[in-house]
Amino acid sequence: MKMLVIFEKTPRLRHIGHLDLMRAMQRALRRSGLPIAFSQGFNPHVLLNFAAPLSVGMPGKREIMEVPLDKGVCEGDFKKMISRALPPDLPCIAVRSVDDRHPAPMASLTAACYTAEFEHLPENFADTVSAFLEQKEIPAIRKTKSGMKPCDIRPMIHELAVEGNTLSMTLSLCEKATCKPDLLLSSLFEFAGMERPNALITRQQLLGGDAPNFMPLEML
Amino acid sequence: MKFCKGESHLNKQELMQLEQLLEQVQKPARYIGGEMNAVQKDWDKVDTTFAFCFPDTYDIAMSHLGMKILYHLINLREDALCERVCMPAADMADLMREKDVPLFSLESRKALNHFDIVGFTLQYEMSFTNILEMLNLGRIPVYAKDRNDTFPIVVAGGPCAFNPEPLAPFIDAFMIGDGEDVMNELIDVIRDGKKQGLTKMNILRNLAKVEGVYVPALYDAAYNEDGTLSSFTPNDPAAPAVVKKRVVKDLSAAVYPDSIPVPYTEIVHDRMVLEIMRGCTRGCRFCQAGMLYRPVRERSMDRLLELADKLQQSTGYEEMSLSSLSSGDFTCLPELISELMKRYKEKRVSVSLPSMRIDNIVKQSLEETQKVKKSGLTLAPEAGTQRLRDVINKGVTEEDLIRAVSDAFESGWSSVKLYFMMGLPTETDEDLQGIGDLARKVVRAYYAMPKEKRTKGVMVTCSASVFVPKPFTPFQWAAQDTIETVHEKQAALRQYLKQKCVNFKWHESHLSMLEACIARGDRRIGDVIYTAWKMGCRLDGWNEHFKFDKWLEAFEKCHLDPAFYAYRERPYEELLPWQFIDAGVSQEYLKRENEKAKAGAITPDCRHGCNGCGLQKWHVCDFVENPPLKDKPHRAEVAN
Ligand code: SF4
Repeated sequence: MKMLVIFEKTPRLRHIGHLDLMRAMQRALRRSGLPIAFSQGFNPHVLLNFAAPLSVGMPGKREIMEVPLDKGVCEGDFKKMISRALPPDLPCIAVRSVDDRHPAPMASLTAACYTAEFEHLPENFADTVSAFLEQKEIPAIRKTKSGMKPCDIRPMIHELAVEGNTLSMTLSLCEKATCKPDLLLSSLFEFAGMERPNALITRQQLLGGDAPNFMPLEML
Repeated sequence: MKFCKGESHLNKQELMQLEQLLEQVQKPARYIGGEMNAVQKDWDKVDTTFAFCFPDTYDIAMSHLGMKILYHLINLREDALCERVCMPAADMADLMREKDVPLFSLESRKALNHFDIVGFTLQYEMSFTNILEMLNLGRIPVYAKDRNDTFPIVVAGGPCAFNPEPLAPFIDAFMIGDGEDVMNELIDVIRDGKKQGLTKMNILRNLAKVEGVYVPALYDAAYNEDGTLSSFTPNDPAAPAVVKKRVVKDLSAAVYPDSIPVPYTEIVHDRMVLEIMRGCTRGCRFCQAGMLYRPVRERSMDRLLELADKLQQSTGYEEMSLSSLSSGDFTCLPELISELMKRYKEKRVSVSLPSMRIDNIVKQSLEETQKVKKSGLTLAPEAGTQRLRDVINKGVTEEDLIRAVSDAFESGWSSVKLYFMMGLPTETDEDLQGIGDLARKVVRAYYAMPKEKRTKGVMVTCSASVFVPKPFTPFQWAAQDTIETVHEKQAALRQYLKQKCVNFKWHESHLSMLEACIARGDRRIGDVIYTAWKMGCRLDGWNEHFKFDKWLEAFEKCHLDPAFYAYRERPYEELLPWQFIDAGVSQEYLKRENEKAKAGAITPDCRHGCNGCGLQKWHVCDFVENPPLKDKPHRAEVAN
């Protein structure tokens, strides 16, 4: 069986890179006493899969990792044991057990919600956002595996809204089409003719399914 | 924006600034704390707050065992807390100064000047400018005399505290010897002093009465015309004329962490460490640690296994290393290793031995479990000829060495590192040639194996550091080679090591010269350190930051000559700046050993018969009664 673990990476730990986070989780699993599975070979390591790596500098509210287990454990026990083994800045929020044939979370991932918290946004910024979204096409340069590529990010923006000084957004996040919040913000502030202010960007939720009927990834 | 779960103690603006700095610096993960097992206590619920300062960057600090022991020990107290503070890298330090963010602790992000006690561990002379940098970034005046009652009391300990004089102007009190013992007494005295509203001076007087504590302000140093020390005496009745080092008698009963912070970011030694033994009886004449940490004390198997289990459960580390000055001498080493390997096989925890004797039993148990990475093998013959090895009392013979490497080659190793020192007393060109010969013989040992056993080809790396005479060693009176001589010797050695399959690495001679000046410096060296720091010296141990010309300028400005400290052979009659410290090992023994060195006579390992080093007077040494052994055990040391 496998356990899906929903956890938070707090702002304090936002500078921890993906590999460091993975090592931290492997050590937490080793501390937990849970029946974890190891890889074969000379330097065996704890098996686990993250749904999507978080960029360095970004906290995540409901991140997901999948942990294969050697023996069955009930959700309640698992949560209790993993919670004891996690540092305060990586709390476990929920767990869900699934069977081995359940598709890997990474395979079902399609999008994610983010927030960007600013010190201060101009009062009529909501109008700017509406105007931005009314564009038929939003050309941008996207970093891909095969280099910088021009593309249209409009179809990858599923939601963009302002509330106070916080911008929330739902953006595509999968193999075929990914729009990073960073790219969106650059393009938005360029459109607004403003210098881009500092913001704390947080990944709030990973999503699966198709627009407009996205679902929290852990529920799929 | 709120970034920290716990309440933060920098003020709001400083915190915002800090968060922005973290966006700009390299490896920001070094500054965030919040690791598993980091101890976050409530500041309002303790009497005494202690900042444990490591004068180097996080990745080095977090690899250091002493810090983990004392961090744990202080945090065990209900009335005190201990938080960690590390030296920021240059980019971070500059930005902090520019944006007015004070140096802060990893746990609560509290500025350094908010602590009651600020404690530095002194591991390396060339990190001393970092101490000034850290105090200054922490908004604390660097000179002790400029700190009134409102500032933290600044203390220091560790191996370099055995010659505390170069740091005397900056530190209020030094702890000499094993920290486990003296730390709690020091905290008690400061806590009580603060409660009673005593002045800093009176607290320091009370501290001076604690055995093993040295308060430099209570002593006066005077100098002869030729610059040597003429007298060193207490100026206060509270201060003892001789400061005796503290010794933990029973290591098994001593505090040892069963839980340690587990860093997120990679550090130098990212694993759990089990200190199996303290001290060394081999008596290498250049080795300061070997003298300072006497007598040898072993932890019991029961205690070690208990600690190993707890550490493994609390950290989740995948690797455990056994630590001591010469782990191969640990009485129950084979039993301990096989028991640990048995216990951790299923948990996939590997056990590594940083310093061990190639010994058949160990070899067998290693082969059984196949847990050792066959990447690099390190041996430290230290000198190239038997004559010079006898001078330094390094009891390794060429035969031992060749047997050790042949064994290793047979079991699959293919790269060997050989550590040497150059500039040892009495060294001649023949000894340097000897290094070349030894390298050649090691390569030959590889090719002596049948073809099918050879793996990918052999690589022998010879690394030669520059000898630095250290206090409390038989060579404490010796002259260091001048930089010119070192350069000539390095050039010669380069020739001798121009061989197939051999690689040569050498050390920065300028750094070693300064290390020698500071290691055997007196109080006046403090001003040189200050002047160098004022001129921008810091992180001197890092090649890219080391500014030798600035250091020379600092010596000149202080009217002191580096040659006086580094290149001069000191007569036995001279009063040495560290002579007021009783390290257990007596000056008479050191003299005797120095004379034997000159005669090329060896002194056997005292595990098999006491050599009367001086510690017998304290009744703390287990080996005093041991009868001498007839057969010399073989002694090649191996590290992986
Ligand atoms: S007292 Fe004797 S046995 Fe003990 S460390 Fe000194 S020389 Fe060795």
